[in-house]
Amino acid sequence: MQARWWIVAALLCLETGTARSQTPTPRIINITAERFSFTPSEIVVDAGEEVELRLKSDDTAHGFRVAGTTVSVVIPKRGYRGTVTRLRVDEPGRYTFECTRMCGAGHNFMRGTLIVRPRTSQP
Amino acid sequence: MVDIMTAQNMKFEEAICLVLIVFGQAAAATAQQAAAETGAVTGPISGYMDFHLNKPEGGDPSLDFHRFVLILNHSFSSRIRFVGELEIEHAFVEGLEESGEVELEQAYIDFLITRSFNVRAGMLLVPIGIINERHEPPVFQGVERPFVDTVIIPTTWFEGGAGVHGEIGRGLRYRAYVMAPLNALEFSADEGIREGRQKGSQANVRHAAFAGRAEYLGVPNLTLGASAWHGTSSIPGPTLDVDVSIGEADVRYRRDRLELRGEFAQVAIGNAERLNSAIGQLTGISPNVARAMRGYYTEAGYRVWANGPARDLMAFVRYENFDTQFRMPDGFVPLKEFARSAWVAGASYYPDPDVAVKVDYVWQRNQSAVVKSPNSFNVGLGWWF
Repeated sequence: MQARWWIVAALLCLETGTARSQTPTPRIINITAERFSFTPSEIVVDAGEEVELRLKSDDTAHGFRVAGTTVSVVIPKRGYRGTVTRLRVDEPGRYTFECTRMCGAGHNFMRGTLIVRPRTSQP
Repeated sequence: MVDIMTAQNMKFEEAICLVLIVFGQAAAATAQQAAAETGAVTGPISGYMDFHLNKPEGGDPSLDFHRFVLILNHSFSSRIRFVGELEIEHAFVEGLEESGEVELEQAYIDFLITRSFNVRAGMLLVPIGIINERHEPPVFQGVERPFVDTVIIPTTWFEGGAGVHGEIGRGLRYRAYVMAPLNALEFSADEGIREGRQKGSQANVRHAAFAGRAEYLGVPNLTLGASAWHGTSSIPGPTLDVDVSIGEADVRYRRDRLELRGEFAQVAIGNAERLNSAIGQLTGISPNVARAMRGYYTEAGYRVWANGPARDLMAFVRYENFDTQFRMPDGFVPLKEFARSAWVAGASYYPDPDVAVKVDYVWQRNQSAVVKSPNSFNVGLGWWF
């Protein structure tokens, strides 16, 4: 009887481990928007890596768009819950992200760079 | 561009030609990159408003709809964008500026090429100080803008011109523009260089002015900035060239509920003695323009109530020192009433992050034993949309 429980527990562990390897927890990147900058303004990810972007504003509402991807969201004003979105880019290169909602005189300065590095092969 | 920035007496047309060459190349590259894109986008309209009640000590209170500003924008493509800012000051406009003004504060096209290098041309805000490019009412504390950003740095300062801007690495930003210079004939003892702004209106550009600013935003919550401006104002008649240089440094820091900022600015005016004589000959009154003006301020704000929209209250105190008679040319005596300082204390209540209800009290002092600077009580309502 005891041996049977051990076998069930082992199978459960195996199943959980398999599920985990199939859907790894994405790396979380916190980004703060404020007239007229994103912090950080330079983000580095690996090609094919899925990351979770957690965006919040310290003042008015801003937009956040990564050129060349489908990511385009609104970041609510300070005091409201931030925005969470996921990003995965397979093609290495440099991508511009920018505010898409007019936020003041320096709106066009509000840009950053997403650097997607080639994925290093696993040993 | 380095050559452009170091050429002291370059003609405006020479400078602008060099910028336009860069501009043309950038425009061609941008147009090629944008060619595959479609779908120009206009608007939406945004803007800000500023409504004040000012009660000077010993004077009648005044109610003033100080600023009504509409911002228009249009994207020809994601890389070619227009921004325009049209302002009505003091609500009512007639022939003379004393009543009110309609101003085209910004109207430019950005050619966005890379994050580190972009080209901008049109009516531009001079990149100097904290407030000139960040003047939306919810962004700064106090009903009125700081005195230093009014008297020493003449915000809102805008002129026609062209230049480049961008961000390098993690947070090093720059702007470098060729612009129209100031008109030194309008300099004065009390308002310094403020009335010398040509505001892009048939501006005399016999000489070019150069404006540059660097900002470092690489450390979270901290912004360090430094600006420089140099221009030569040419006065007709017995020709007189007046060199004007401005140096400025500023810092902003935010941690949790605390916000700190500080700014220092100094103006140097060459040929100030001859400038006073020239203006005296034209108007019959010597304006007593200084050869150096200086101002600085420090400000601390604390968000005493920080529970989100409708529960957001910031208290602040600011000390300012500003002297438009800081150093006088030989033979001129400084007017002590223009060596001023001020304590400003108050609070801003934010029912929404874009709406600020402001109240403050200003204690002004000067070094004159005769002329007194009035204290004032101020209430304001400002919003951004």
